[in-house]
Amino acid sequence: MAEAVSPTTSKKPETPRIGVFICHCGTNIAGSIDIDAVKEYAKTLPNVAYVDDYKYQCSMPGQVNIREQIDANKLTGVVVAACTPRLHEPTFRAASKDGGLNPFRFEMANIREQNSWVHMHDREGATEKAKDAVRIAVAKAALLEDLYPKSVPVERAAMVVGAGVAGMQAALDLANAGIKTYLIEKEPSIGGRMSQLDKTFPTLDCSQCILTPKMVDVGRAENIVLMVNSEVEDVEGYIGNFDVTIRRKATGVLSPEEAEAKGIVGGGCTGCGDCGPVCPVTKPNEFEMNMAPRKAIYIYHPQVVPLLYTIDWDSCVKCGLCVEACGEKKAIDLEMQDELVQVKVGTVILATGYEVFPIENKEEWGYKRYDNVITSLEFERLICASGPTGGHLVRPSDGETPMRIGFVLCAGSRDNTGIGKPYCSRFCCMYSLKHAHQIIEKIPGAVPYIFYMDIRSFGKMYEEFYYRIQDEGAKFIRGRVSNIQEDPVTKNVTVYVEDTLLGRPMEIELDMVVLAAAVQPTELTNKTRKLFGVSCSQDGWLLEAHPKLNPCGTTTAGVFLAGACQGPKDIPDSVAQAEGAASAASIPIHKGEVELEPYYAMCIEEKCAGCGMCVNLCPYQALSLVEKDGRTVMQVTEAKCKGCGTCGGFCPGGAIWMNHFATPQIVAQIDAFLLGGEQ
Amino acid sequence: MATKNYPDPILNEKLRDRYYHRDQSNPEFTKEIEKIAGTMAHMCFQCGTCTAGCPSAPRSSYRIREFMRRAVLGLEDEALTDPDLWFCTTCYSCTDRCPRDLAPTDVIMAMRNLAARRDIVPVNFLKTVQAIYSSGHGVPNNDVNRAAREKLGMTRDPPTTSMYPEYIKGIQKILDHYGLKERADRIIKEREG
Amino acid sequence: MREYAFFLGCIAPNRYPGAESASIITSRRLGIELLPLNGASCCPAPGAFGSIDLNIWYAMAARNLVLAEQMERDIALICNGCYKSIYEVNHKLKHNDELRDGVNEVLKEIDMEFKGSIDVWHLAELLYDENIVGVEKIRESVKVPLTGTKIAVHYGCHLMKPKKERHMGSTEAPRWIEELVEALGAEAVEYRNKMQCCGAGGGVRGYDLPHSLDITNEKLQNMIEVGADAVTEVCPFCQLQFDRGQIEIEEKFGIKYDMPVFHYNELLGLAQGMSPSELGLDLHAISTEPFLKKVL
Repeated sequence: MAEAVSPTTSKKPETPRIGVFICHCGTNIAGSIDIDAVKEYAKTLPNVAYVDDYKYQCSMPGQVNIREQIDANKLTGVVVAACTPRLHEPTFRAASKDGGLNPFRFEMANIREQNSWVHMHDREGATEKAKDAVRIAVAKAALLEDLYPKSVPVERAAMVVGAGVAGMQAALDLANAGIKTYLIEKEPSIGGRMSQLDKTFPTLDCSQCILTPKMVDVGRAENIVLMVNSEVEDVEGYIGNFDVTIRRKATGVLSPEEAEAKGIVGGGCTGCGDCGPVCPVTKPNEFEMNMAPRKAIYIYHPQVVPLLYTIDWDSCVKCGLCVEACGEKKAIDLEMQDELVQVKVGTVILATGYEVFPIENKEEWGYKRYDNVITSLEFERLICASGPTGGHLVRPSDGETPMRIGFVLCAGSRDNTGIGKPYCSRFCCMYSLKHAHQIIEKIPGAVPYIFYMDIRSFGKMYEEFYYRIQDEGAKFIRGRVSNIQEDPVTKNVTVYVEDTLLGRPMEIELDMVVLAAAVQPTELTNKTRKLFGVSCSQDGWLLEAHPKLNPCGTTTAGVFLAGACQGPKDIPDSVAQAEGAASAASIPIHKGEVELEPYYAMCIEEKCAGCGMCVNLCPYQALSLVEKDGRTVMQVTEAKCKGCGTCGGFCPGGAIWMNHFATPQIVAQIDAFLLGGEQ
Repeated sequence: MATKNYPDPILNEKLRDRYYHRDQSNPEFTKEIEKIAGTMAHMCFQCGTCTAGCPSAPRSSYRIREFMRRAVLGLEDEALTDPDLWFCTTCYSCTDRCPRDLAPTDVIMAMRNLAARRDIVPVNFLKTVQAIYSSGHGVPNNDVNRAAREKLGMTRDPPTTSMYPEYIKGIQKILDHYGLKERADRIIKEREG
Repeated sequence: MREYAFFLGCIAPNRYPGAESASIITSRRLGIELLPLNGASCCPAPGAFGSIDLNIWYAMAARNLVLAEQMERDIALICNGCYKSIYEVNHKLKHNDELRDGVNEVLKEIDMEFKGSIDVWHLAELLYDENIVGVEKIRESVKVPLTGTKIAVHYGCHLMKPKKERHMGSTEAPRWIEELVEALGAEAVEYRNKMQCCGAGGGVRGYDLPHSLDITNEKLQNMIEVGADAVTEVCPFCQLQFDRGQIEIEEKFGIKYDMPVFHYNELLGLAQGMSPSELGLDLHAISTEPFLKKVL
């Protein structure tokens, strides 16, 4: 079976001498597995030259022992039976290397996550399974070969997708570190959700006031190439060398630079605003949560960056009045087309943010059915001085000032019904406390009622903020609102809740109710993450490489996460993660090169029939057909190959050699498992 | 300190130990409820959504959230002997709205089943059993209705066990299989003489 | 003609026979033949029986289901309480082998076996389903439109809740029975807490009558607040609670409403031209005269 020979190594027959090191992991492994039994068993296995065990194999003495035994026993391969390779494979590869072996001569047997932890109450079964795992690993280790990682240069540029506060911060950090950064935003302006907020907790800073300087910085930063109205269309390549195609959507409006490039001297949009008033089409402004009008040619608000008007093609009637109003600046081009732009970057940060869960799906609270039930983001716009009502909070039903306002927390969060979201949305408690403060401050005599299950004020100065709002007069009722009824005449809304601390049902008539609706990843997040090969958890949030030790990284090398796209996050956490992601993303760029795992496919040319089927199957476009010595054979672009094995598994002639997962190695593992070591 | 044996019975009652002690919990009670109700009662996090929308809560001391808590803690005696247990109209509003996706209504039904095993069951429930045992109907036909049906051009008895009393035997066999009629007769006699 | 085994339950045939006969006659005009299900019994009452022992409830309901299986017809019924027993037990026994085996063990004693070969429908959902009848066809069958009347719809509980074990959409703000009412030419009015229980269920009507009437009273007030001329429902037990309940409310609380109460099929009969006497409306505890004056 296993006579195929690697195209990389010269056929130097060598008698394998394998060392087996069994880790106790304290009692993590030794508590459920009979280490001595596994050790004695390992000694009987073919090619095993040395067996040892140790309390903590990953500790310095454990590593030193591996190094010394390689030398003392002339080992050709090392097997460590311990935890998952995700944790300590790098450790033991380094130890093997220190002992003079090629690090890829190391093989790990997972007897913890896949054994002792799941078979805690079956010592005998777990011990047998550990023996199997060791036998299989030894079989592979005997056939392992020397491999040498390749280094590739890293493009000295980065990309950040999403220009909310996290994306902006990440881009600014990268730019300040001297890295050219493409900042991609799907909306016409940067700023994201934070620019829609009135004030921030617990400091009560004006959100726009602290955000706009950053927005201006982003607009002015020399190293930032800002692309608004843009989406990632396609991604090719790998860490160090991502080729990204960006769709720049036609905005119908030329920037001064674009105008100049077209030879329109002194032209382009200056944001003067002459076009808007003449536009005959009126549409709801999404930035104002559809509570204020905009025209078909519009900006969201006066502080947008970049200050460029945009045409909403879905509603534009192409009457040309705006073109006339724009006059000599010639900034408006009603025939503008989308443009595809290609850029090459070394690393990427995804910062695609969140959106509000469609809370009308939780029908019991009547959102969209009752006028005076609104969401928290709508509240932010209504209470904001630059919002549609100039900061005067009013009831949508009649424009009156509400005096009794309810805040429903966990609206759609912590919900296992399948309609809402099972997770805590993490910032609703705090912004609802802030909302309570805002109405007390702005409307004399107004009373906020906060309906809560738990107040989660975990951040710095957050609990103190809770204390302050309670002192200011907010009413806290510990109960989840079951349903809301509208008075058919007054349009007042009555909240039904139990004060669970009193054990008493309450029927509380209010002028207005604000739902602290759950949040979810933005609509585009899923498409974007797939383009970059990033996984997501069950609820759609992007998956970090490790929840504790690598919270900014992903399992795709060179792609990092910042802000709420990874899970609900408030502003401080988003900014902190953005700075972490920027730092992580700058490391490969500053190093200038990255090592690639040598797990690529290779063509055994004498066996290759040049059929080309593998070329079409490869998901990474890593294979091609070339002419060699008068024959057509397949060729691998090693840097593009991810070692997935699709081609190797398919090749009808067995002409593809998968480094480190070669057919003979895998067959040996299967044989070892099925034949119980009697090869 | 569980029991006090002060000589004065009034003081004894007044100073009754109000502490919760672990021995008041019966974990088997929680399991039994979950088995009958088919819902993970132990996952209740006491948000009060159930009570807030309950039609019986605002007009009585019935608190379905408290019964859920008793299910969680295994407070068997407290749950089964509370007369409020019988105020649930089984409207299922709590079940539809429970954010933990539990079925408090079915927890109540399970508790009623367990109470009934102790002969704790209101008489009106048992009278329905008697009526069905004798006629097949919980609300049987009567002469006024027979006349009305006739006037409407209908048969005096509907084509149910009323018209076909031979089917009643089968019903009686099912009820006798569980000894329910006998139990109903006995309990009603004990209560009403 | 689609044929169904007509499961009557108790209250319709034995207290509101007009609802039974109206259902048969109006359905026939719409292409549904309701066949007698001979020997059927009480469903049995889900509150009373389910509270005592769910296993007995399963077995008793299964006996009724087997009668229809023997007829090889799906069941149609007109009572939400019956719907809970017959629909839910059918569903549970079809999907839970252990439960089914236990029930069949008991049914063996009376030479019966639950096979799970039929489905159970509320007549109201058949009327609404446009593949069977549909709102348009109902509208076309109207001869005496109920124009100018305001009708409050009471859905009842067991028809649609628990939502996860049913298939009829929203249980917070449904509109489909309103659509059925509007097809008759009436205005279906929205009112506060529309989806609240009538108060009768779960054995509470028998356990504590004033308690259950207090719930009914709240609903009646909410209906009156929006000027409803009548209540309609699809459940004779709710009908009893609203209709006879008003007499009891007057006795116990001293409040008089005179709010006419109709099973939807009675309203449908009226709109299709059946006379009040054909519908047995004189058997209602609350006079339907004020309503009839508006439409006839």
